[in-house]
Amino acid sequence: MRALTLVGITILATGVVSAGIVVGCENQHLAQQQAVSGGGGSGNLGASASIQQLMKERGLREADVTAALKTYVPTGKMDEYYLFTSGGQSGNVNVIGVPSMRILKVIGVFSPESWQGWGYGGDSNKIIEKGAQGPHRLYWADTHHPNLSEMKGDYDGKFLFINDKANARVAVVDLEDFSTKQIVANPLAASDHGGTFVTPNTEYVIETSQYPAPLGREYAPLDQYKDKYRGVVVFWKFDRTKGRIDPAKSWAIELPPYTQDLADAGKLDSDGWAYINSLNTELATGGTLQGKPPIESGASQNDMDYLHVINWKKGEELVNAGKTKTIAGMRVLPMDVAGAEGVLTLVGEPKSPHGCDVTPDGKNVVVGGKLDTHVTLYDTAKMKSLIEQKKFEGKDIYGLPVMGFKDAVTGQVEIGLGPLHTVFDDKGNAYTSVFIESVVAKWSTKDLKKPVEKLKVHYNIGHITAAEGDTVSPDGKYVVAMNKMSMDRFLPVGPLFPQNFQLVDISGDKMQLLADLPIGNSEPHYAQMIKADKLKPLKVYKPGTNPYTDQIDPNRVEGGKERIVKNGNKVEVFMTAIRSHYVPDQIEVDEGDDVTLHITSLESAEDQTHGFTIDMYNVHVSLEPGKHDNISFKADVPGTFPFYCTEFCSALHLEMAGYLLVKPKQH
Amino acid sequence: MSAPNDSGDRPPPSHPGTSAAGGEPVHLRVVNDCPANRGTTASSSPWYLRGLLIISALLSMALFAASFSKVWWKMLLYAPQYPDGLQLDIKLTGMGGDVHEIDLLNHYIGMSHLENAAPTERALAGYGVAAICILTLAFLMLAGKKLNKLVVIPAIAFPVVFLADSFYWLYKFGHELNPRAPIHLPSFTPQMFGNGKIGQFETFGSPQIGFWLAVAGVVCAILGTYLRFHVCKRCHRAGTCGLVCSRGMVLPDK
Repeated sequence: MRALTLVGITILATGVVSAGIVVGCENQHLAQQQAVSGGGGSGNLGASASIQQLMKERGLREADVTAALKTYVPTGKMDEYYLFTSGGQSGNVNVIGVPSMRILKVIGVFSPESWQGWGYGGDSNKIIEKGAQGPHRLYWADTHHPNLSEMKGDYDGKFLFINDKANARVAVVDLEDFSTKQIVANPLAASDHGGTFVTPNTEYVIETSQYPAPLGREYAPLDQYKDKYRGVVVFWKFDRTKGRIDPAKSWAIELPPYTQDLADAGKLDSDGWAYINSLNTELATGGTLQGKPPIESGASQNDMDYLHVINWKKGEELVNAGKTKTIAGMRVLPMDVAGAEGVLTLVGEPKSPHGCDVTPDGKNVVVGGKLDTHVTLYDTAKMKSLIEQKKFEGKDIYGLPVMGFKDAVTGQVEIGLGPLHTVFDDKGNAYTSVFIESVVAKWSTKDLKKPVEKLKVHYNIGHITAAEGDTVSPDGKYVVAMNKMSMDRFLPVGPLFPQNFQLVDISGDKMQLLADLPIGNSEPHYAQMIKADKLKPLKVYKPGTNPYTDQIDPNRVEGGKERIVKNGNKVEVFMTAIRSHYVPDQIEVDEGDDVTLHITSLESAEDQTHGFTIDMYNVHVSLEPGKHDNISFKADVPGTFPFYCTEFCSALHLEMAGYLLVKPKQH
Repeated sequence: MSAPNDSGDRPPPSHPGTSAAGGEPVHLRVVNDCPANRGTTASSSPWYLRGLLIISALLSMALFAASFSKVWWKMLLYAPQYPDGLQLDIKLTGMGGDVHEIDLLNHYIGMSHLENAAPTERALAGYGVAAICILTLAFLMLAGKKLNKLVVIPAIAFPVVFLADSFYWLYKFGHELNPRAPIHLPSFTPQMFGNGKIGQFETFGSPQIGFWLAVAGVVCAILGTYLRFHVCKRCHRAGTCGLVCSRGMVLPDK
């Protein structure tokens, strides 16, 4: 018996000791990690002495050090916010971390983006081709206003929309994988600017035209401008479950050719309404060569332009009741119907307005003015009741009802020279970008007095954005001034200067400028800032996912099932990529064959991305873990084509290669 | 219930207490502990000893059964590229965790896929655990005095065989590397207990809940064996019972 007890104790002891070893080792490992990350930590006294020394050496003031401490995000730590900015002429979207102001990603949207293989031979081409405006494939876009999807007027972190001003298009980006899923081309407008703006539950994505043109892109001489040229606002219906815009359920309202500018959707009290400003009630069309004034002066003659007040819920009812005409395949509510039914009503706004921003409580619309020193606040409730009571001051030249300016406004605030866009904090303050003065003006929406503070920015601030600043609940932490000029802020890089994003801390009584970020790839316009924890991005794809369809691809390839199928002049290659090889890695086709490569990445570990390219054929795709892509091309160039992995995937990355042989035709 | 009806071939107990009806435990303990009686009389063991024996036997079986579906062993692998580590969970029937990734990495050194490890053992694990449960229960309940020191063997063998077999496969995998692999490593045996190092990986191996359940099962079996030993000691048939106990140890002696 004693012997048996001993055996038991021995076994138990072995177990406990071995567990001890293991636990001990894990602790040791953690301790090592901590030692690495915390390297160089010295005592407080030493630190403060060395900081003084550093400040002296680098010529830093105390405010600089505070700013640095407020923005510095050490390695291994994360930013608090995502900033999604339009990529301007790059046609893409920039993703930036706040407060570090580090660029996290550039999402390929309208323009080809070669790192992501966006538009280089894979299925992304199909999205770009489907979103083509006109007969040609488009290689660029002028992205302006990104808008995050909302639920109950608050960002939900699911989708991002962005417009292409140049070609009147709207794109949908899924924030699960930061990948563009859809591009829709506006069939009516020639360009857009008042978009994208979403309604409070993302029922619709609003896109308003900018430069008037005959709807449906017909030809009409400029002397028929008044009769044939029109503006238009499209309400793109968003299908949240599919994550796509449904063009068949989308509709539009015909607008007068007043060169509509920015737009915003009402929220809370003003839910169901949309507001669009305009800048050319003069109907100027230029004619500089004929000695007529250019549009810039022709469109700046009248003292007042028109804010368009739209009851989109009523519009939706009329559309469903069939009061539309169909132009270029889209249902359009005619201007006269919209005017008569209270769907489209105008109200004067001081000349050359810009900015159109609904306050977080939905009670006011703030409109700036490029040539005015004021912002004007329009009372959404007053306007609603004026329209309900049909209490109008008159009609415009198209017979649209016009409300009295004084009847509709809450008041005006004298801001300074060239107030443009306005964003908000959580304490009832507004922050307006003042272009000509190059300042951010802080004022209170409660008393409408002169700005309490102006902060110099560098230089020529255009758009401005605040942390969740256009939702029903702004965070009141940061503002980013999006400056058009950087002048003397950065090392010179030739005559084309970077833009300058400046981060401002608005959490205290005084605004503090924290950091500059040069944007050296485009001129971004608007941006939106969302709390990082609202996003839940994927780290790897479910095996075999085609991100351009969001489906497991029917041609996905599993390990061991790779094959080459030849059928006449069609060659289909079912291929896999995994560290550090392709299967198959030898492909032989005949000149003139239609080749389709179905490639699945068999990787499942985070950040193990491969690429695939064939030279001369303009083929490049990115293969993130689990991703599947289909590449089609005609093998019309005979020769020897090594293909290889373009993302440094492993120690044997250079060995991840193979050959495509295109056998010449026998002539 | 006990002593008063004892009708074996030994003389009836001389101590008057043993003939009292009821056989209260306290009373019996006094009797059993009386040096005068040791070896001379075999009274039936008290009910709680037999009860405990049944409980420990059933518990041992239950713990073994419970360990079947649990993770027995965990290997953690850390490398700079894997700050959260890779994890391999070893169960009796298969492996879980980052098997795909570990296989992928192993192909660089020519190590076989993990699914090729211990296929027979994994296929038979269910039967094995069932057999061990039954053997342990049967041995604890039925073994006669000649066997009662051995009844714990199948129970102890269970985790020991697991450890030995795992070690065998680790050894085999580390010594049968494909010579055509891109990276040539000298033969090695991955560290099963505690920390080891393979290439850029630091590894940590540790027993998990399944293993500990089995160990607890062994402890119960040892306790059962101990109880069994005591019960047998007091049995008047102990000298003659042979391999199998006719009373199943549960029933009192008659």
